[in-house]
Amino acid sequence: MILLDLALTFGVLSLVAFGGMPAVMPEMQRLVVDVKGWTNSAQFIQLFAIAQAAPGPNVLIVSLIGWKAAGFWGSIVALLAVCAPAAVLAWWVADLWERFKESPWRIAIQRAIAPLVVGLILSGGYVLCTPAAGPDWRLWAIAAASCAAYLTLTINPLWILAVGGTLGAFLL
Amino acid sequence: MDVTPPKNLKELFTGFLAIGARSFGGVMPWAHRTMVEERRWLTQADFAETIGLCQFLPGPNIGNASIVLGKRWFGVSGSVVAFLGLMALPFIWVMALGILYLEWASNPVVRAVVTGVGATGAGLFIGTALKLGRAIVNKPAALVLVAACFLTVGVGRVSMLVVLPIAAVIGIFFARRGWL
Repeated sequence: MILLDLALTFGVLSLVAFGGMPAVMPEMQRLVVDVKGWTNSAQFIQLFAIAQAAPGPNVLIVSLIGWKAAGFWGSIVALLAVCAPAAVLAWWVADLWERFKESPWRIAIQRAIAPLVVGLILSGGYVLCTPAAGPDWRLWAIAAASCAAYLTLTINPLWILAVGGTLGAFLL
Repeated sequence: MDVTPPKNLKELFTGFLAIGARSFGGVMPWAHRTMVEERRWLTQADFAETIGLCQFLPGPNIGNASIVLGKRWFGVSGSVVAFLGLMALPFIWVMALGILYLEWASNPVVRAVVTGVGATGAGLFIGTALKLGRAIVNKPAALVLVAACFLTVGVGRVSMLVVLPIAAVIGIFFARRGWL
């Protein structure tokens, strides 16, 4: 039952997505490409690109994957599965948050998570630019230029994506 | 500055619809613009605090924000309405783009452009990680954790479900000793 499989796969991702969707991207790629085979690594980066370029939360990449795997209902199930468990948690925790504001454990957990999120987001960037055939220097060149532009310019990232797409047309 | 929360579910829905519909290049700036500057639903400080909570929790940050704010103003129905408002139009945009893309995916130029956009997005991820990393760059224990996560999850392709619990325990140990 592929819808159930989608629900379980993305439901688990939802609860480990500390730092939001970017942090869970490497695990999503591993599950979706290596384990489940719903798409391949060359197509994964393209689905990721569509979700980045379209307006809205970047979590919507899961709808594209769900759609590839199981059509329209796959896209709905994947989106709800990746949001619902975290949403239920957020619903419960929202009130506790104030109460534990000064708790040393909360502060320790927050400090512990920060470097993990950095390492996981770096992994996401690395995994996206490393297709199954092995690292591709052209993808790395585009990624490096984009990273430099992001860190030095204060423009809407959409412009950077547009330039990156143009570079892709010439390089790839 | 006076703030007035949304008066009814319809107002809540259209507000989140406006966020989702316009959020080219990232949702957070548009969430801020809509809720703090245009509709004045909440103060700057309140917004920052709420986003801080949602970044701490797992899951899509802005999705969680719609749940938390919807609940605060209208309970469960508020959460559901805010979430649906946020996702409705972006879902249609993404699926439309996806279908359009599949139509054209056999064209090598289209494929190259889209892959280029993907690599650019990967570069934005790395830039985001570097920005976040500035705050911890002078803490050796933090850098060890960053490197360990990157080498296992990124390069080694080890499941995050294995790495995260172990790294979290080590991280909390480091934090309790004051190293983070």
